[in-house]
Amino acid sequence: MERGHHVLASTELGQVVVSEAAVAQIVRYSAAESYGVVALVGQGFRSRLWGAKKGVDVQRREDGLAIELRVVVERGLKLAEVATAVRARVLYELERMIGLPVAALEVHIVKVRGR
Amino acid sequence: MQLEIVREVTRAALQNLEAHRQRIDDLNVYPVPDGDTGTNLVLTLRSIVETLDRSTAEGSEAVAKELSRAALMGARGNSGVIFSQIVRGFVDMLARSDDVSTPRLRRAFRGASDAAYRAVKRPVEGTMLTVIREMAEEGERKENRRLSPPMLLAAVLARGEDAVARTPEMLDVLRDAGVVDAGGAGLVEITRGLALGMAGEVLPDAPVASEAPGFDAIHLELSAYRYCTVFVVEGERLDQIALESALEPLGDSLLVVGDETALKVHVHTDDPGLALSAGIAVGAIEGVEIANMHVQTSEREDRLSEAANLSPLPALTTLETGLVAVCPGLGNRRLFEQYGATRVIEGGQTMNPSAAEIVEAIEATPAAEVIVLPNNSNVISTAEQAAGLSSKPVRVVPSRSVQAGFAAVARYIPTLSPEENEAAMLEALASVATGEVTIASRDATLDGISIRKGAYLGLVNDSAVVADEDFDAVVRDVVARVLDGEREWLALLAGEDAPPLDELVAALRHEHPDVEIEPHNGGQPHYSLLVVAE
Repeated sequence: MERGHHVLASTELGQVVVSEAAVAQIVRYSAAESYGVVALVGQGFRSRLWGAKKGVDVQRREDGLAIELRVVVERGLKLAEVATAVRARVLYELERMIGLPVAALEVHIVKVRGR
Repeated sequence: MQLEIVREVTRAALQNLEAHRQRIDDLNVYPVPDGDTGTNLVLTLRSIVETLDRSTAEGSEAVAKELSRAALMGARGNSGVIFSQIVRGFVDMLARSDDVSTPRLRRAFRGASDAAYRAVKRPVEGTMLTVIREMAEEGERKENRRLSPPMLLAAVLARGEDAVARTPEMLDVLRDAGVVDAGGAGLVEITRGLALGMAGEVLPDAPVASEAPGFDAIHLELSAYRYCTVFVVEGERLDQIALESALEPLGDSLLVVGDETALKVHVHTDDPGLALSAGIAVGAIEGVEIANMHVQTSEREDRLSEAANLSPLPALTTLETGLVAVCPGLGNRRLFEQYGATRVIEGGQTMNPSAAEIVEAIEATPAAEVIVLPNNSNVISTAEQAAGLSSKPVRVVPSRSVQAGFAAVARYIPTLSPEENEAAMLEALASVATGEVTIASRDATLDGISIRKGAYLGLVNDSAVVADEDFDAVVRDVVARVLDGEREWLALLAGEDAPPLDELVAALRHEHPDVEIEPHNGGQPHYSLLVVAE
């Protein structure tokens, strides 16, 4: 199997695989729709220039996917609640759309955007 | 914004939300179907209320800061976070002035919507966000510019309800699950509580409100009275309490606020002229605004039914079971309203309402199904006819008298199914004994009792049992018979021509120490006293 792909289903006729990029995209979309998240890191030209880490990083581990997510949250919101909501939403969407086990999901709030 | 008032309205908002918590929890499918949106919103709001209770902030800005901070700190869950942002945007705008005017309120809703949208990268429509945005848009509508603040709130609230009803059209997960958005529904209930609080309808220690906070919710839309009347009285050494008691008999939702030099009056009444006269009697009036609420209500219903036509889902209704009651007398009307009747039609012995009036009341009730209490044997068949003409399923619980209907309405729970309510009410009717005291209009012999014109006549379960010149003696006889040595609860509804009851009630309590006796001012004509025991 190609590196960076995850097997969703395996049958006699072949496998159904999903790429890491696709997983990352689901994570990105779910996070972007989460309330309080005003930006994802690593999408702008400038942050790439700085060599910042990607906004979404998906790794495969023995026990499932390990995901790191870096987000910017609006100032004046309760960060812990926003992070919890982001986690819940991302996990829910991953479960709903691909059903792969998630071993770890870390949400980093890297910045709080001022008004 | 004064701390006292803010406390009161947030408490009212919390009360109303708590009444709907379970329903909102049950709706939740987005963004994660965990069924806790109602609970999270309640916890968020409760923490705001608690912070305000401890607060000593003075002045609009300090109060606003406290509120924003309380919302931020108390935010629970996704919906709580969105709500905290809505609160912040809302109070930021209100903080800039001491009183709440229509333009200020309009900007507050706009501020709330903008703040809510600012905090999300990709807003999802069909959620709480859509609802607050549409509410802000309604506030800004040209047609609403001249409304008084309470009426603007009512319009915004109606639009919010409408938006919630349309959320399934915007968000597939809601449509698939056959529900409306939970956060949006919560926001509407909070706004409704807020509106009630501002209108002075839910007061912190009002017993009825605390027993059944949901009941009052409908009042804003469906006041029993036709005109929302607002004005300012200016003068010297104005007496707030005296003006309140002068206005009290005229209607409901009464609010008189201000100081010795200026009082602002808000009242729902059928006769704005009388309300204005009460103001003129103590000072000079100005800033008079009178709005016909029934017109607005029907417009809202048109909007809602339009929405229902567009969507395969039924329009969002507020109650599982609505209640329409027919009864005479202002006091009785209020009593039925206190127990949650959504509509009360004036009528009874000599003024039977038409089937059309009953149909109108049924249609105006924001519930999928409606129970009608005719409260008079002559009205039962009209009510049944109205049931057949209505577009909703209707059950007529055949209460033959106001007092029997009162025993039935005491069992009414709007959030239970019509079947359960009907069964409970029928059970109440079957177990009560009723009595009446009236003045004989001529000499007669009835059920073996001879009666002189002008004497008091006592009836129990529709049969004459006693006649005497002495009102107290007749009442005591009737009461003893309806209690029948075994009943434990007694309600007395005093008529418009009843003599004072205080001493009599004390004597009855002494005579029947085990019985819970509830005297009420019913205000019905013809019957000096109506009695029911259960």
